[in-house]
Amino acid sequence: MSDAALDYQRRIPRITRSSVTASPSLIRWTLRIVTVTLFGAATAIGVNLGVSAPDISPTVVHHGHVASP
Amino acid sequence: MRPPGITAITLVVVVYLGAALAVLQGFVSGGLPIDFSASLMAQVSGMAAGYGAAIMLILMSRSPWLERGVGAGRLSRWHAWGAPLVIILTVLHAFAAVAAWAEVESIDLIAATYQVLNLPGLMTALVGTVILVLIGVTSIRAVRRRISYERWHFLHLLTYLAVGFGFVHQLAGPDLVGRRWLQIAWALLYCYAFALVLRWRVFQPIFQLWRHRLRVEDVRQESEDVMSVLMSGQHLDELRAEPGQFFRWRFLTRETWRSAYPFSLSAPPTRHRLRITIKASGDGTRRLFAVPRGTLVFAEGPYGVITSRRRRRPRVLLIAGGVGITPMRSLFEVIDLPGKDITLVYRASKEQDLVLKHEIDEIAERSGARVVYLVGPSSDTANDISAHALNRIVGDVRDHDVYLCASPGLAARVRGSLMDSGLPRHQLHEERFSL
Repeated sequence: MSDAALDYQRRIPRITRSSVTASPSLIRWTLRIVTVTLFGAATAIGVNLGVSAPDISPTVVHHGHVASP
Repeated sequence: MRPPGITAITLVVVVYLGAALAVLQGFVSGGLPIDFSASLMAQVSGMAAGYGAAIMLILMSRSPWLERGVGAGRLSRWHAWGAPLVIILTVLHAFAAVAAWAEVESIDLIAATYQVLNLPGLMTALVGTVILVLIGVTSIRAVRRRISYERWHFLHLLTYLAVGFGFVHQLAGPDLVGRRWLQIAWALLYCYAFALVLRWRVFQPIFQLWRHRLRVEDVRQESEDVMSVLMSGQHLDELRAEPGQFFRWRFLTRETWRSAYPFSLSAPPTRHRLRITIKASGDGTRRLFAVPRGTLVFAEGPYGVITSRRRRRPRVLLIAGGVGITPMRSLFEVIDLPGKDITLVYRASKEQDLVLKHEIDEIAERSGARVVYLVGPSSDTANDISAHALNRIVGDVRDHDVYLCASPGLAARVRGSLMDSGLPRHQLHEERFSL
């Protein structure tokens, strides 16, 4: 090993560590599951927000009908 | 094989259809016949602004479906066009709503403002509007030039907070209230927009940092104000980056971690290494020159559509201005054509600004491709890069796929000249971004 390579290994040893062993296909599937879970959660939150949204606008409570700002 | 992205036309049709429905809902929710009043203006502008804000988030979510199909440059241009409109509509909505309240209550505007701000969710909406206006003002070109990219970028991130604050009062607005399905659809639009942002702007870079462990391996000065950064990492082939593409890079040092900069790959990516070449264009990029070896790098990407996949014609013309050489240098090495069918035109104002020249000359010698250096003042007709001049260099430019990367001014001149000369739009490939 050259002096330069030795120097390189000393300065940034983490680069030369053995890589994470997870296979690319496991990684891909994990990311897909994360995406599906995230959008599943977004769907649940969105539906819940919509269902529990007010039936009457605060402006209508005060008056017959006026645009809510 | 990557899945195809959504096309620009499909996206435009979907977005305009949604906008039409939102505006229509604003009109009809006030009841028929339509009464053109401050109240109606408040409802229509409110629906359009609320819809537009969610669309702006989606456009800038870095979703690969959009980035791949539409292109980062085009998405940024749409955002730059649409965001000011959303801010104007938001302000119009606020004023019109206060005016409508004053009219109904028969009180003056100051008293109406006070009463309106005491309604649920309206104070947060006001804070959101103020933040949006502030972001809009700092994005005006004259103001933008006076503040650093880092400050502007940080301020821009507050948009998420502003949009969230605005959403708080939207489901209770008279356009949506009492219409359960509309309220659910509206809430889903916002939840999906934020989910896209979370997935691609937060989770993805964190995942890539963990998976690829990208670190600065070497920094090399190319000229007085240009340097190359070589980065090493693991499994970089999984990124499926291509020559011509760019990433948004965030170097994790105390001084530089706050800002992400878009820089193109200046060499074809390998399984273990990526290289970028940076020109100092402000204090922020100048600070990158001092990034120590071993620094962790947070990379979002790859983005960009100026890859060799776009090529359709039998010949290729690459045009680079200044540091715009970076994506062209990578493409120049990998385009799969006989050397005689590839020409690189490289424009710089000084000989010293011809960065990566030795690499380009080596590639040209190896492949037999042609390189034309245009060096000197732009007033010199020998440095002209009009379609007429390009025709003299390569024959008929319309036989070529043209890849262009240069400063906004030079790129606009070349683009205009090429379009005027009859080059079909789909044969011009460029990514427009600037710090």
